[in-house]
Amino acid sequence: MNELFINWIANTPGYAAPYALAALGLILCERAGVLNLTAEGIMLVGALSGVGATLTMGGYPQLAIIIAMIMASLVSTLFATMTVLLRVNQVIAGLAMVFFCQGLTALLGNLFEWKNQPITGIGRIDVWPLSEIPVIGHIFFSQDLIVFLIIPIFYLVNRVLTRSMVGLRLRAVGESPEASDAAGINVTAYRFLTVMAGSALVGLAGAYISVASTKIWVDGVTAGRGWIALALVIFARWRPWRALLGALLFGAIESAMPRIAAAGIKVPQYFMLMLPYVVTLGVMIWVAWSKRGGATDEPGALGQPHVREERR
Amino acid sequence: MSEDAISTVPNPATSKRRLHGIRFNLEVRRDISPWWQAAYLAGFIALGIGISAIILIWAGVPAGDLIDQFLVETLTDSDNLRSVLFQGAPFILVGLSASVAFRARFWNLGLEGQMIWGGIGATFISIHHIGPEALRLPIMIFAAAACAMAWVAIAGQLKLKLAVNEIISTLLMNYVALNFLYHLLYGPWRDATDGFPHSPKYADFERLPDFFSFSGALPLALITALGVWWLVSFTRFGFYMKFVQASDKVAGAVGIPVARITLVSVLLSGALAGIAGFVVASGQEGRLIQNFSDGYLFSGILIAFLSRNNPIVAVIVAMLVSMLFISGQSLQVFYQIPFAMVQLVQAIIVICVAASEFLIRHRIHIVR
Repeated sequence: MNELFINWIANTPGYAAPYALAALGLILCERAGVLNLTAEGIMLVGALSGVGATLTMGGYPQLAIIIAMIMASLVSTLFATMTVLLRVNQVIAGLAMVFFCQGLTALLGNLFEWKNQPITGIGRIDVWPLSEIPVIGHIFFSQDLIVFLIIPIFYLVNRVLTRSMVGLRLRAVGESPEASDAAGINVTAYRFLTVMAGSALVGLAGAYISVASTKIWVDGVTAGRGWIALALVIFARWRPWRALLGALLFGAIESAMPRIAAAGIKVPQYFMLMLPYVVTLGVMIWVAWSKRGGATDEPGALGQPHVREERR
Repeated sequence: MSEDAISTVPNPATSKRRLHGIRFNLEVRRDISPWWQAAYLAGFIALGIGISAIILIWAGVPAGDLIDQFLVETLTDSDNLRSVLFQGAPFILVGLSASVAFRARFWNLGLEGQMIWGGIGATFISIHHIGPEALRLPIMIFAAAACAMAWVAIAGQLKLKLAVNEIISTLLMNYVALNFLYHLLYGPWRDATDGFPHSPKYADFERLPDFFSFSGALPLALITALGVWWLVSFTRFGFYMKFVQASDKVAGAVGIPVARITLVSVLLSGALAGIAGFVVASGQEGRLIQNFSDGYLFSGILIAFLSRNNPIVAVIVAMLVSMLFISGQSLQVFYQIPFAMVQLVQAIIVICVAASEFLIRHRIHIVR
């Protein structure tokens, strides 16, 4: 039982990483005022690119993950063009992007024969001698590279968002594009580039799923995690560190699922698979219920396109 | 060598001036003639079809076969035509479902989950032999609508009472419904006769009858479309819906019961999706199969978006989507093109139409 418990805790970060990274990317976009529903699709782009690059180069999974981030960022320019330049309804544009990416990745995965090809992927790194410490060593010092990088990434993004001029302008654009425009901030450029940067993080989340977790590409490998990440953003009230906390909660649930079955507790399989979605719904209801939860950082102009000529 | 390098670099002063010299200004059009609107729309749809054709050719479909596959084969071959006419029915229903919800400012993205619950409700009636044989079909349709309404009511109430974002809640509920369907098909409802994970076959009187060798699904969908059209165009309810769609705040201020209008529209939307689920289950295999609702969510949104929530236009768009769907099936068979291609083509067309709306609403001025 103890062994099972340590295993569960030690596996949680691996399951939490995609949620955390995707939610961080989404928070970035949404703080700039762009309602980004594309996460599920952009994660698929990252996941396919990660596997595709690994197979093409015959290894180098770390490099493949960077390529996946760039690809995700490039594909997101289509969404940015639609929402930021052409002022298309952000819900319609986001959904169209998700289905565009689902279709595209399924097509390309088939054509290039990247489907169902197992890859080596990235493995665990043991920080010797710390990894030899009982219990703690296994949990904290025997993870893969991306998991080790998550805290620095969160620190950096949070720092930029809250303690830098760029972050201040970015938040101003999300809060009131009219006022920012009047103050001389290039609203279009800030939103466009933020979508690209945020999508790179979402793509990293997708690449993590395929290169580090499943180590294989199948159609729709992300299985709705992008939508859960979107719910996490609301749970986190648009604050990065709270998103990390929420991601850990979901990681713990997902990592517990196979272990509950292994422990011999009989729960019907498909009810188990429902669990992440049901818990997400529950969390959303709980967040809505407890209005006392304190201030939110929800941007004032979330989802509103900015058209200087239509200024009222 | 160094001279060449210098001469190719533009003078920074002039290039800067040139950058500042050209500016793009956007002007909001107050009115535009319907002909120009139609021309822009047609142009961008043609662009979308062109892009899709290029992708298809690149994916390995011979260019000469494209028109043959998409138009000639689907409309002249009687089997294909019958499939197109049948397949149009669920598309009409999901399109109506999406547009009714969108008219009440409710993003119902749970169409697939509601279809699944519709299928489950109807199949429950079939498995337990509820009601006399002559009335079985209406009872199944009613059960499909009722189950789907109950499912969408959860998201509707959460939105109205607690302001829970319906985009995410309805989408997540699709996954819950799908896993519940798997549970039924791999568990209690598994067909005992062949052991496959699908429900037992419906009896003949539980399937939609054929009229003149064409499926009765299409007349059912057309009558429903007329009913929805009447509801949104000629009734007080439809009039109130227009208020809510334009601005729920103003609608509330002038005394329209916004919450009730929204809830009824959401329930109606769910019922339509549920009936679509029954039509697919009854018309295709005559039983519940694993992924029978796949792809209908985006098709429903596409139909509502392209028809601008107009029920009559939705019928036409739905039939076009149906043609695309059936052509996609033959592409899959003949050229091993994955069926996801259909989704990709739909997404490209939505993106192009959305882009055309920008040009319809704005004029770009190049200021020198």
